[in-house]
Amino acid sequence: MNSLLLVLSLVAVTSLVGFAYRLLRGRGRELERHELVDLDRLPTQKNGIPTKGLGRNATIIQFSTEYCGQCPGVRRQLAQLEYRMGGLSFLEVDITDRMDIAAHFGISQTPTVLVLNSEAELVYRIGGVPNLKLLTDELRKLGAI
Amino acid sequence: MSQQIDPRGPRFGAAITTLLAIIGLYLGLEQQPAAAAFTVTLFVLFAWSVFLPTYHPYALVFSKLIRPRLKPPSDLEDARPPRFAQQVGYGFAILGVVGLLTNVATLSLLSFAFIFAAAYLNWAFDFCLGCQMYLVLKRFGLLGK
Repeated sequence: MNSLLLVLSLVAVTSLVGFAYRLLRGRGRELERHELVDLDRLPTQKNGIPTKGLGRNATIIQFSTEYCGQCPGVRRQLAQLEYRMGGLSFLEVDITDRMDIAAHFGISQTPTVLVLNSEAELVYRIGGVPNLKLLTDELRKLGAI
Repeated sequence: MSQQIDPRGPRFGAAITTLLAIIGLYLGLEQQPAAAAFTVTLFVLFAWSVFLPTYHPYALVFSKLIRPRLKPPSDLEDARPPRFAQQVGYGFAILGVVGLLTNVATLSLLSFAFIFAAAYLNWAFDFCLGCQMYLVLKRFGLLGK
């Protein structure tokens, strides 16, 4: 009986962890300190072609790796978002061989999405697959429509 | 480009591993000798997937019986992070065998508990613990290319 109880508590605790993960996944958080991001120092690209360019109202940067399974799907979604929203620029950075960039921004999972305002200041970040509705709300706050 | 796999494959394997680990844990807590069989089975399965992943029974059942009945996946996934996760699982399976050989039951129980937690999170919540560790460990230079 005791062992059954132990086994069930392990299942319960692990389930709690899992539900917390599903609940918090893709929610992102606002950043207190607005770090100025120097886009010239990031190897940003669009569809694999090196691209610079800050959005008029907001810029989203997706950090990806070659071995990231969910990155291509997120790339498609964010590219569509860029197409739909005015004043928004979407850039991508491949950090497969740039662990220095990962360390600088404290990236521990891909995709990680950073949101910059019109002044290239880092205002919001999302680890993992972003929740599109919440991301869109954040971008609206910055004036992208 | 390294090998690309259907991301649902590892989750299918995780479902079976979850069952094996939780039954093993229960039997181990009840001090049933049959628990040893589960320790050995998990060890063999993990070793198999680390050293001969293409011919693994999970992979064969998935590709022959399950995948033909599913829609094609929207994206393939790089095999490196899930393979790394299998190596972590293999490490814990070794711990279980060590517990068996040295007659330290706690080690085998810990091994079951960890394997259960990781496999269950992967199967039920699509949360791959080992894959998450992959980028972090790479960032700290603990993994090679």
